[in-house]
Amino acid sequence: MASKLWWLIHKDLVIEYRVRQAWPAMLLLGIIVAVVFNLQMDLLPEQRPAAAGALLWLAILFAGLVAIERTGAAEQQDGCWDGLVLFPLPSSLIYVAKLAVNFIALLALECVLVPLFVVLADIPLLRHAWAMLLVAVLGSLGMAAVGTLVSAMTHGLRQRGAILSLLVLPLLLPVVLAGAEASRLVAVGDVGTQWWRWVQFLGAFAIVFTTLGIVLFGFLVEE
Amino acid sequence: MTNQKSAIQAQRLSKRIGDRRVLREIDLEIAEGECVALTGSNGTGKTTLLRCLSAIARPTSGKVYWFGRPAAADPAQRRLIGMVSHESRLYAHLTLRENLVFAARLFSVADPGERAEQLLKQIGLVSLADRQVGQISRGMGQRLALARALIHDPPILLLDEPFSGLDRSSRDWLARLLHERREQGRTLCFSTHDEQQTGQIADRTLTLSGGFLTGHPVVADQSMEENRHRHAA
Repeated sequence: MASKLWWLIHKDLVIEYRVRQAWPAMLLLGIIVAVVFNLQMDLLPEQRPAAAGALLWLAILFAGLVAIERTGAAEQQDGCWDGLVLFPLPSSLIYVAKLAVNFIALLALECVLVPLFVVLADIPLLRHAWAMLLVAVLGSLGMAAVGTLVSAMTHGLRQRGAILSLLVLPLLLPVVLAGAEASRLVAVGDVGTQWWRWVQFLGAFAIVFTTLGIVLFGFLVEE
Repeated sequence: MTNQKSAIQAQRLSKRIGDRRVLREIDLEIAEGECVALTGSNGTGKTTLLRCLSAIARPTSGKVYWFGRPAAADPAQRRLIGMVSHESRLYAHLTLRENLVFAARLFSVADPGERAEQLLKQIGLVSLADRQVGQISRGMGQRLALARALIHDPPILLLDEPFSGLDRSSRDWLARLLHERREQGRTLCFSTHDEQQTGQIADRTLTLSGGFLTGHPVVADQSMEENRHRHAA
Protein backbone atom coordinates (compact mmCIF):
# COMPACT_ATOMS: atom_id res chain seq x y z
CA MET A 1 0.00 0.00 0.00
CA ALA A 2 2.91 2.35 0.75
CA SER A 3 4.21 1.97 -2.80
CA LYS A 4 0.76 2.80 -4.23
CA LEU A 5 0.64 5.88 -2.01
CA TRP A 6 4.03 6.89 -3.34
CA TRP A 7 2.96 6.45 -6.98
CA LEU A 8 -0.18 8.56 -6.40
CA ILE A 9 1.95 11.35 -4.89
CA HIS A 10 4.64 10.95 -7.56
CA LYS A 11 2.05 11.28 -10.34
CA ASP A 12 0.72 14.57 -8.94
CA LEU A 13 4.22 15.96 -8.42
CA VAL A 14 5.33 15.00 -11.95
CA ILE A 15 2.22 16.64 -13.43
CA GLU A 16 2.76 19.80 -11.36
CA TYR A 17 6.42 19.88 -12.44
CA ARG A 18 5.36 19.69 -16.10
CA VAL A 19 2.36 22.02 -15.91
CA ARG A 20 3.84 24.45 -13.35
CA GLN A 21 0.41 25.78 -12.49
CA ALA A 22 0.00 25.82 -8.69
CA TRP A 23 3.51 26.08 -7.27
CA PRO A 24 4.84 29.13 -9.16
CA ALA A 25 1.61 31.08 -8.46
CA MET A 26 1.69 30.03 -4.82
CA LEU A 27 5.35 30.97 -4.32
CA LEU A 28 4.97 34.27 -6.16
CA LEU A 29 1.90 35.25 -4.13
CA GLY A 30 3.67 34.26 -0.91
CA ILE A 31 6.73 36.34 -1.75
CA ILE A 32 4.63 39.38 -2.77
CA VAL A 33 2.56 39.20 0.42
CA ALA A 34 5.70 38.80 2.55
CA VAL A 35 7.49 41.73 0.88
CA VAL A 36 4.43 44.05 1.06
CA PHE A 37 3.73 43.18 4.69
CA ASN A 38 7.32 43.71 5.72
CA LEU A 39 7.86 46.93 3.77
CA GLN A 40 4.73 48.43 5.35
CA MET A 41 5.73 47.33 8.85
CA ASP A 42 7.30 50.19 10.78
CA LEU A 43 7.51 48.76 14.27
CA LEU A 44 9.81 48.90 17.24
CA PRO A 45 12.16 45.88 17.45
CA GLU A 46 10.29 44.41 20.44
CA GLN A 47 6.96 44.61 18.55
CA ARG A 48 8.27 42.87 15.47
CA PRO A 49 8.11 39.20 16.55
CA ALA A 50 4.38 39.36 17.33
CA ALA A 51 3.53 41.16 14.10
CA ALA A 52 5.88 39.06 11.96
CA GLY A 53 4.53 35.78 13.38
CA ALA A 54 0.98 36.74 12.43
CA LEU A 55 1.99 38.09 9.02
CA LEU A 56 4.03 34.98 8.25
CA TRP A 57 1.04 32.72 8.85
CA LEU A 58 -1.31 35.00 6.93
CA ALA A 59 1.08 34.88 3.99
CA ILE A 60 1.21 31.07 4.26
CA LEU A 61 -2.60 30.94 4.41
CA PHE A 62 -3.25 33.17 1.39
CA ALA A 63 -0.54 31.66 -0.80
CA GLY A 64 -1.29 28.12 0.41
CA LEU A 65 -4.89 28.50 -0.75
CA VAL A 66 -3.60 28.54 -4.33
CA ALA A 67 -2.15 25.04 -3.88
CA ILE A 68 -5.16 23.80 -1.91
CA GLU A 69 -7.54 25.03 -4.60
CA ARG A 70 -5.59 22.97 -7.15
CA THR A 71 -6.04 19.77 -5.11
CA GLY A 72 -7.03 17.01 -7.47
CA ALA A 73 -6.74 19.35 -10.47
CA ALA A 74 -5.15 16.52 -12.47
CA GLU A 75 -8.29 14.46 -11.92
CA GLN A 76 -10.71 17.19 -12.97
CA GLN A 77 -10.02 16.65 -16.67
CA ASP A 78 -10.92 13.80 -19.02
CA GLY A 79 -12.76 11.84 -16.33
CA CYS A 80 -9.54 11.01 -14.49
CA TRP A 81 -11.39 11.05 -11.18
CA ASP A 82 -13.47 8.05 -12.33
CA GLY A 83 -10.24 6.40 -13.40
CA LEU A 84 -8.85 6.87 -9.90
CA VAL A 85 -12.04 5.46 -8.34
CA LEU A 86 -11.73 2.34 -10.51
CA PHE A 87 -8.37 1.43 -9.01
CA PRO A 88 -8.46 -1.13 -6.21
CA LEU A 89 -7.60 1.47 -3.59
CA PRO A 90 -9.34 2.52 -0.38
CA SER A 91 -10.59 6.10 -0.68
CA SER A 92 -8.59 6.96 2.45
CA LEU A 93 -5.38 6.27 0.50
CA ILE A 94 -6.40 8.77 -2.18
CA TYR A 95 -7.10 11.33 0.57
CA VAL A 96 -3.71 10.74 2.18
CA ALA A 97 -1.98 11.10 -1.21
CA LYS A 98 -3.74 14.40 -1.93
CA LEU A 99 -3.00 15.58 1.60
CA ALA A 100 0.66 14.68 1.18
CA VAL A 101 0.91 16.67 -2.07
CA ASN A 102 -0.63 19.74 -0.37
CA PHE A 103 1.63 19.23 2.66
CA ILE A 104 4.74 19.15 0.45
CA ALA A 105 3.58 22.32 -1.35
CA LEU A 106 3.01 24.16 1.94
CA LEU A 107 6.39 23.03 3.30
CA ALA A 108 8.07 24.30 0.12
CA LEU A 109 6.26 27.60 0.58
CA GLU A 110 7.48 27.86 4.18
CA CYS A 111 11.04 27.05 3.10
CA VAL A 112 10.86 30.29 1.09
CA LEU A 113 8.77 32.47 3.42
CA VAL A 114 10.46 31.77 6.77
CA PRO A 115 13.96 32.86 5.61
CA LEU A 116 12.35 35.79 3.78
CA PHE A 117 10.72 36.96 7.02
CA VAL A 118 14.02 36.48 8.88
CA VAL A 119 15.72 38.80 6.41
CA LEU A 120 12.96 41.36 5.77
CA ALA A 121 11.51 41.65 9.29
CA ASP A 122 14.85 41.07 10.99
CA ILE A 123 13.41 38.58 13.49
CA PRO A 124 15.35 35.48 14.60
CA LEU A 125 12.80 32.82 13.59
CA LEU A 126 15.66 30.38 12.97
CA ARG A 127 17.35 30.93 16.34
CA HIS A 128 15.67 27.68 17.41
CA ALA A 129 15.40 26.13 13.96
CA TRP A 130 14.08 22.78 15.25
CA ALA A 131 11.26 24.58 17.11
CA MET A 132 10.30 26.57 14.02
CA LEU A 133 10.48 23.41 11.92
CA LEU A 134 8.06 21.63 14.28
CA VAL A 135 5.61 24.56 14.14
CA ALA A 136 5.87 24.69 10.34
CA VAL A 137 5.38 20.92 9.92
CA LEU A 138 2.35 20.69 12.23
CA GLY A 139 0.80 23.91 10.91
CA SER A 140 1.22 22.72 7.32
CA LEU A 141 -0.24 19.32 8.16
CA GLY A 142 -3.33 20.94 9.71
CA MET A 143 -3.76 23.28 6.74
CA ALA A 144 -3.30 20.46 4.24
CA ALA A 145 -5.73 18.19 6.12
CA VAL A 146 -8.48 20.84 6.18
CA GLY A 147 -7.78 22.01 2.63
CA THR A 148 -7.86 18.50 1.18
CA LEU A 149 -11.05 17.64 3.07
CA VAL A 150 -12.88 20.81 1.99
CA SER A 151 -11.56 20.36 -1.52
CA ALA A 152 -13.25 16.94 -1.58
CA MET A 153 -16.49 18.51 -0.27
CA THR A 154 -16.51 21.02 -3.12
CA HIS A 155 -15.54 18.42 -5.74
CA GLY A 156 -17.55 18.94 -8.92
CA LEU A 157 -19.16 22.25 -7.85
CA ARG A 158 -19.27 25.05 -10.41
CA GLN A 159 -18.21 27.89 -8.07
CA ARG A 160 -15.65 25.62 -6.47
CA GLY A 161 -12.91 28.20 -5.92
CA ALA A 162 -15.11 30.74 -4.14
CA ILE A 163 -16.91 28.14 -2.00
CA LEU A 164 -13.62 26.47 -1.10
CA SER A 165 -12.13 29.77 0.13
CA LEU A 166 -15.29 30.57 2.12
CA LEU A 167 -15.13 27.22 3.88
CA VAL A 168 -11.37 26.93 4.32
CA LEU A 169 -10.59 30.40 5.69
CA PRO A 170 -12.67 30.20 8.90
CA LEU A 171 -11.66 26.56 9.49
CA LEU A 172 -7.98 27.48 9.27
CA LEU A 173 -8.23 30.43 11.63
CA PRO A 174 -7.14 28.30 14.64
CA VAL A 175 -4.03 27.14 12.73
CA VAL A 176 -3.12 30.73 11.81
CA LEU A 177 -3.56 31.92 15.41
CA ALA A 178 -1.65 29.00 16.93
CA GLY A 179 1.06 29.15 14.27
CA ALA A 180 1.46 32.91 14.75
CA GLU A 181 1.74 32.63 18.52
CA ALA A 182 4.11 29.66 18.41
CA SER A 183 6.29 31.48 15.83
CA ARG A 184 6.35 34.62 18.01
CA LEU A 185 7.56 32.55 20.97
CA VAL A 186 10.28 31.00 18.78
CA ALA A 187 11.37 34.49 17.68
CA VAL A 188 11.66 35.75 21.26
CA GLY A 189 13.52 32.58 22.25
CA ASP A 190 10.81 31.30 24.63
CA VAL A 191 10.42 27.68 23.56
CA GLY A 192 9.13 26.50 26.94
CA THR A 193 5.78 25.35 28.28
CA GLN A 194 3.69 28.03 26.59
CA TRP A 195 5.25 27.31 23.19
CA TRP A 196 4.75 23.58 23.74
CA ARG A 197 1.01 24.15 24.41
CA TRP A 198 0.60 25.85 21.04
CA VAL A 199 2.54 23.05 19.36
CA GLN A 200 0.29 20.50 21.04
CA PHE A 201 -2.74 22.43 19.78
CA LEU A 202 -1.37 22.40 16.21
CA GLY A 203 -0.66 18.66 16.51
CA ALA A 204 -4.16 17.90 17.85
CA PHE A 205 -5.76 20.00 15.09
CA ALA A 206 -3.76 18.13 12.43
CA ILE A 207 -4.64 14.72 13.91
CA VAL A 208 -8.37 15.53 14.21
CA PHE A 209 -8.74 16.81 10.64
CA THR A 210 -6.52 14.13 9.11
CA THR A 211 -8.64 11.48 10.83
CA LEU A 212 -11.84 13.20 9.70
CA GLY A 213 -10.52 13.29 6.14
CA ILE A 214 -9.57 9.61 6.18
CA VAL A 215 -13.02 8.66 7.46
CA LEU A 216 -15.14 11.06 5.38
CA PHE A 217 -13.29 11.35 2.06
CA GLY A 218 -14.97 8.33 0.48
CA PHE A 219 -18.46 9.63 1.30
CA LEU A 220 -17.67 13.16 0.13
CA VAL A 221 -16.47 12.21 -3.32
CA GLU A 222 -18.99 9.45 -3.97
CA GLU A 223 -21.40 10.06 -6.83
CA MET B 1 -29.87 -14.92 -3.76
CA THR B 2 -27.27 -14.39 -6.46
CA ASN B 3 -26.36 -16.78 -9.23
CA GLN B 4 -22.69 -17.81 -9.01
CA LYS B 5 -22.52 -18.14 -12.81
CA SER B 6 -23.33 -14.47 -13.22
CA ALA B 7 -20.45 -12.14 -13.89
CA ILE B 8 -22.70 -9.15 -13.28
CA GLN B 9 -26.05 -9.07 -11.64
CA ALA B 10 -28.18 -6.04 -10.89
CA GLN B 11 -31.21 -6.33 -8.66
CA ARG B 12 -33.95 -3.68 -8.66
CA LEU B 13 -31.37 -1.07 -9.61
CA SER B 14 -32.63 2.51 -9.54
CA LYS B 15 -30.74 5.74 -9.97
CA ARG B 16 -32.07 9.21 -9.49
CA ILE B 17 -30.07 12.23 -10.67
CA GLY B 18 -31.61 15.39 -9.26
CA ASP B 19 -35.35 15.06 -9.80
CA ARG B 20 -34.97 12.68 -12.71
CA ARG B 21 -35.33 8.93 -12.30
CA VAL B 22 -32.76 7.72 -14.81
CA LEU B 23 -32.95 4.01 -14.00
CA ARG B 24 -36.07 2.32 -12.64
CA GLU B 25 -35.82 -0.97 -10.77
CA ILE B 26 -33.66 -2.68 -13.33
CA ASP B 27 -33.01 -6.40 -13.02
CA LEU B 28 -30.11 -7.54 -15.14
CA GLU B 29 -27.90 -10.57 -15.31
CA ILE B 30 -24.85 -11.07 -17.51
CA ALA B 31 -23.32 -14.51 -17.49
CA GLU B 32 -19.59 -15.15 -17.32
CA GLY B 33 -18.17 -15.05 -20.86
CA GLU B 34 -21.25 -13.38 -22.30
CA CYS B 35 -21.21 -10.28 -24.49
CA VAL B 36 -24.15 -7.93 -24.06
CA ALA B 37 -24.93 -4.81 -26.07
CA LEU B 38 -26.84 -1.97 -24.49
CA THR B 39 -28.79 0.24 -26.85
CA GLY B 40 -31.19 3.14 -26.48
CA SER B 41 -31.50 6.71 -27.64
CA ASN B 42 -29.41 9.52 -26.21
CA GLY B 43 -30.12 10.36 -22.59
CA THR B 44 -31.85 7.09 -21.75
CA GLY B 45 -29.34 6.20 -19.06
CA LYS B 46 -26.90 3.81 -20.77
CA THR B 47 -23.91 5.62 -19.30
CA THR B 48 -25.54 5.80 -15.88
CA LEU B 49 -26.29 2.08 -15.97
CA LEU B 50 -22.67 1.27 -16.89
CA ARG B 51 -21.44 3.60 -14.14
CA CYS B 52 -23.63 1.81 -11.61
CA LEU B 53 -22.55 -1.61 -12.89
CA SER B 54 -18.89 -0.57 -12.53
CA ALA B 55 -19.58 0.83 -9.02
CA ILE B 56 -18.30 4.28 -10.00
CA ALA B 57 -21.77 5.60 -9.17
CA ARG B 58 -23.78 4.41 -6.20
CA PRO B 59 -27.34 3.37 -7.10
CA THR B 60 -30.17 5.21 -5.33
CA SER B 61 -31.58 1.79 -4.53
CA GLY B 62 -30.89 -1.78 -5.54
CA LYS B 63 -27.75 -3.87 -5.63
CA VAL B 64 -25.00 -4.78 -8.06
CA TYR B 65 -23.05 -8.03 -7.75
CA TRP B 66 -19.84 -9.09 -9.47
CA PHE B 67 -19.43 -12.85 -9.55
CA GLY B 68 -22.03 -13.18 -6.82
CA ARG B 69 -20.45 -10.72 -4.39
CA PRO B 70 -21.63 -7.16 -3.71
CA ALA B 71 -19.79 -4.88 -6.14
CA ALA B 72 -16.77 -3.08 -4.71
CA ALA B 73 -17.61 -4.12 -1.14
CA ASP B 74 -13.85 -4.51 -0.89
CA PRO B 75 -11.62 -2.18 -2.98
CA ALA B 76 -9.57 -5.20 -4.11
CA GLN B 77 -12.65 -6.42 -6.02
CA ARG B 78 -12.23 -3.55 -8.46
CA ARG B 79 -9.63 -5.72 -10.19
CA LEU B 80 -12.60 -7.61 -11.63
CA ILE B 81 -13.66 -4.59 -13.69
CA GLY B 82 -12.17 -2.68 -16.58
CA MET B 83 -14.06 0.23 -18.04
CA VAL B 84 -13.79 2.45 -21.08
CA SER B 85 -15.96 5.55 -21.22
CA HIS B 86 -16.50 8.65 -23.39
CA GLU B 87 -13.74 10.37 -21.45
CA SER B 88 -10.27 8.92 -21.83
CA ARG B 89 -9.46 8.95 -18.07
CA LEU B 90 -5.86 9.53 -19.09
CA TYR B 91 -3.54 12.16 -17.66
CA ALA B 92 -2.82 14.61 -20.47
CA HIS B 93 0.58 15.61 -19.07
CA LEU B 94 1.89 12.08 -18.63
CA THR B 95 3.25 10.13 -21.57
CA LEU B 96 1.42 7.15 -23.02
CA ARG B 97 3.85 4.81 -21.30
CA GLU B 98 3.65 6.66 -17.97
CA ASN B 99 -0.16 6.47 -18.01
CA LEU B 100 -0.10 2.71 -18.53
CA VAL B 101 2.70 2.09 -16.04
CA PHE B 102 0.89 4.21 -13.44
CA ALA B 103 -2.31 2.20 -13.91
CA ALA B 104 -0.37 -1.09 -13.86
CA ARG B 105 1.30 -0.13 -10.58
CA LEU B 106 -1.99 0.75 -8.91
CA PHE B 107 -3.48 -2.55 -10.12
CA SER B 108 -0.41 -4.38 -8.72
CA VAL B 109 0.45 -5.84 -12.13
CA ALA B 110 3.59 -8.00 -11.81
CA ASP B 111 5.88 -6.19 -14.25
CA PRO B 112 4.31 -2.77 -14.98
CA GLY B 113 6.89 -1.69 -17.56
CA GLU B 114 6.70 -4.95 -19.50
CA ARG B 115 2.89 -5.02 -19.43
CA ALA B 116 2.73 -1.41 -20.64
CA GLU B 117 5.11 -2.22 -23.49
CA GLN B 118 3.07 -5.28 -24.44
CA LEU B 119 -0.16 -3.26 -24.61
CA LEU B 120 1.47 -0.38 -26.47
CA LYS B 121 2.53 -2.90 -29.13
CA GLN B 122 -0.97 -4.40 -29.17
CA ILE B 123 -2.61 -1.02 -29.80
CA GLY B 124 0.06 -0.01 -32.31
CA LEU B 125 1.28 3.05 -30.43
CA VAL B 126 4.71 1.90 -29.28
CA SER B 127 6.44 4.52 -31.45
CA LEU B 128 4.52 7.27 -29.63
CA ALA B 129 5.05 5.81 -26.16
CA ASP B 130 7.06 8.76 -24.86
CA ARG B 131 4.73 11.42 -26.19
CA GLN B 132 2.36 13.12 -23.76
CA VAL B 133 -1.29 12.10 -24.09
CA GLY B 134 -2.31 15.70 -24.78
CA GLN B 135 -0.30 15.52 -28.01
CA ILE B 136 -2.03 12.53 -29.62
CA SER B 137 -5.29 12.29 -31.59
CA ARG B 138 -8.65 11.33 -30.10
CA GLY B 139 -8.65 7.98 -31.85
CA MET B 140 -5.22 7.15 -30.47
CA GLY B 141 -6.38 8.32 -27.05
CA GLN B 142 -9.31 5.94 -27.30
CA ARG B 143 -6.96 3.06 -28.09
CA LEU B 144 -4.82 4.00 -25.12
CA ALA B 145 -7.90 4.26 -22.89
CA LEU B 146 -8.79 0.72 -23.89
CA ALA B 147 -5.25 -0.46 -23.15
CA ARG B 148 -5.48 1.19 -19.75
CA ALA B 149 -8.75 -0.63 -19.04
CA LEU B 150 -7.12 -3.93 -20.03
CA ILE B 151 -3.89 -3.36 -18.13
CA HIS B 152 -4.88 -5.79 -15.35
CA ASP B 153 -6.64 -8.21 -17.71
CA PRO B 154 -10.05 -7.86 -16.01
CA PRO B 155 -12.61 -10.64 -16.35
CA ILE B 156 -15.35 -8.04 -16.91
CA LEU B 157 -14.99 -5.23 -19.43
CA LEU B 158 -17.57 -2.44 -19.65
CA LEU B 159 -17.43 -0.07 -22.60
CA ASP B 160 -19.47 3.09 -23.06
CA GLU B 161 -19.99 3.70 -26.79
CA PRO B 162 -16.53 2.44 -27.68
CA PHE B 163 -17.07 2.73 -31.45
CA SER B 164 -18.10 6.38 -31.52
CA GLY B 165 -15.53 8.76 -32.99
CA LEU B 166 -13.37 5.96 -34.43
CA ASP B 167 -12.44 5.70 -38.08
CA ARG B 168 -13.16 2.50 -40.02
CA SER B 169 -9.83 0.82 -39.37
CA SER B 170 -9.99 1.63 -35.65
CA ARG B 171 -13.54 0.26 -35.49
CA ASP B 172 -12.43 -2.97 -37.16
CA TRP B 173 -9.47 -3.17 -34.81
CA LEU B 174 -11.72 -2.68 -31.77
CA ALA B 175 -14.25 -5.22 -33.04
CA ARG B 176 -11.41 -7.77 -33.46
CA LEU B 177 -10.15 -7.04 -29.97
CA LEU B 178 -13.60 -7.51 -28.46
CA HIS B 179 -13.98 -10.80 -30.38
CA GLU B 180 -10.65 -11.93 -28.93
CA ARG B 181 -11.82 -11.06 -25.41
CA ARG B 182 -14.98 -13.07 -26.01
CA GLU B 183 -12.96 -16.02 -27.24
CA GLN B 184 -10.90 -15.81 -24.05
CA GLY B 185 -14.12 -16.16 -22.04
CA ARG B 186 -14.16 -12.60 -20.76
CA THR B 187 -17.45 -10.89 -20.01
CA LEU B 188 -18.27 -7.83 -22.09
CA CYS B 189 -21.00 -5.23 -21.88
CA PHE B 190 -20.99 -2.25 -24.20
CA SER B 191 -23.38 0.55 -25.04
CA THR B 192 -23.75 1.48 -28.68
CA HIS B 193 -25.91 3.09 -31.34
CA ASP B 194 -24.36 0.92 -34.03
CA GLU B 195 -26.72 -1.93 -34.92
CA GLN B 196 -24.18 -3.57 -37.23
CA GLN B 197 -21.58 -3.87 -34.48
CA THR B 198 -24.27 -5.06 -32.07
CA GLY B 199 -25.26 -7.92 -34.36
CA GLN B 200 -21.67 -8.91 -35.08
CA ILE B 201 -20.35 -8.97 -31.53
CA ALA B 202 -23.10 -9.31 -28.95
CA ASP B 203 -24.83 -12.44 -27.67
CA ARG B 204 -27.76 -10.37 -26.47
CA THR B 205 -29.03 -6.86 -27.00
CA LEU B 206 -30.81 -4.95 -24.28
CA THR B 207 -32.58 -1.65 -24.83
CA LEU B 208 -32.98 1.11 -22.29
CA SER B 209 -36.04 3.27 -22.62
CA GLY B 210 -37.68 5.51 -20.04
CA GLY B 211 -35.43 4.08 -17.37
CA PHE B 212 -36.59 0.51 -18.06
CA LEU B 213 -34.63 -2.28 -19.65
CA THR B 214 -36.20 -4.32 -22.42
CA GLY B 215 -34.90 -7.33 -24.32
CA HIS B 216 -33.80 -10.34 -22.29
CA PRO B 217 -32.31 -8.83 -19.13
CA VAL B 218 -31.83 -12.23 -17.54
CA VAL B 219 -29.56 -14.67 -19.29
CA ALA B 220 -30.96 -17.76 -20.97
CA ASP B 221 -28.10 -20.26 -21.25
CA GLN B 222 -29.51 -21.94 -24.33
CA SER B 223 -29.89 -18.75 -26.39
CA MET B 224 -26.39 -17.71 -25.36
CA GLU B 225 -24.95 -21.00 -26.53
CA GLU B 226 -26.80 -20.62 -29.81
CA ASN B 227 -25.30 -17.18 -30.29
CA ARG B 228 -21.84 -18.51 -29.45
CA HIS B 229 -22.15 -21.12 -32.17
CA ARG B 230 -23.48 -18.52 -34.59
CA HIS B 231 -20.49 -16.22 -33.92
CA ALA B 232 -18.03 -19.12 -34.07
CA ALA B 233 -19.45 -20.15 -37.43
